[in-house]
Amino acid sequence: MVRFKNRYVLCEVVSEDPRCRQCIEDRAVGLAVRDAIGRVHGDYGLACCSISFTVKYLNAYTGTVLLRCRKDSYRLLCSALPFVRQLESRNQRYPCALNTLHVGGTIRTCQKFLIQYNRRQLLRLLQNCTNEEERRCVQKSLLSCSLTEEQSQSGDEEDDGSPE
Amino acid sequence: MARAEPPAASFERRVLRSAAEYHYLRVRLELPDGVTRPTVAQFKQLVVSALRELHGEVGAALPVDVLTYEEKTVSAILRVISSGLVRLWSALTLLGFYQNRRCAFRVLQTSPFLLALAGNSRDLVLD
Repeated sequence: MVRFKNRYVLCEVVSEDPRCRQCIEDRAVGLAVRDAIGRVHGDYGLACCSISFTVKYLNAYTGTVLLRCRKDSYRLLCSALPFVRQLESRNQRYPCALNTLHVGGTIRTCQKFLIQYNRRQLLRLLQNCTNEEERRCVQKSLLSCSLTEEQSQSGDEEDDGSPE
Repeated sequence: MARAEPPAASFERRVLRSAAEYHYLRVRLELPDGVTRPTVAQFKQLVVSALRELHGEVGAALPVDVLTYEEKTVSAILRVISSGLVRLWSALTLLGFYQNRRCAFRVLQTSPFLLALAGNSRDLVLD
């Protein structure tokens, strides 16, 4: 049976400017990525990657972005992601960078990876906590996600504003 | 007298497909009348900008060399690494404008061997 295979690229938006978070929207990220592909790979690369390109999932609090593209052109997409330099929305631009975390064939594998990744990030945040209140918040979210291993629906933990 | 049997011959066959490192293209740029013919540097700039338009920065970084250039006929011999032949040829095909005037690249000959560009059977005159 012939079907179209997709690749889902999980990335993280990293920025020094805290106001960049309000700029993380699917249209802004999609346009920035398309623009980067157009610069790096030209008209041909842009057309190749745009066939089935969408931003499938976006989390502005953690800066997680899930992009989809065809399996034949995911290498073009992944090689152009380091060239995304700024996000622009509502006439405001903020410098940022995209870190690629994982490339998967289905949304489910990317979600499994994201859950494990967020758990590890919470542990790292706990080590880097500076005051007692943040420590308690992070410990509470850690406990709430580790006790029930099977029902890991609450995988997308939100940052409680603790510094990265 | 028994002769020692020669050892069983063992041989190895290697087939190399498209093993040439470079491909050579003889191209001609057709320009409308009244356009000043480009110099060799402008010609190379044109080729690189065509690659940049179609294949982006990665395409513009493709190592293309202009081996010879004749300004009178605006024809040149280009050399490109074999893996980049398709990108170069497609970029030359889709280039439409030079200094805002219509132009076209005609590829006259192509070969993995430079010597093959010396003779062109299309130019033969049959009596």
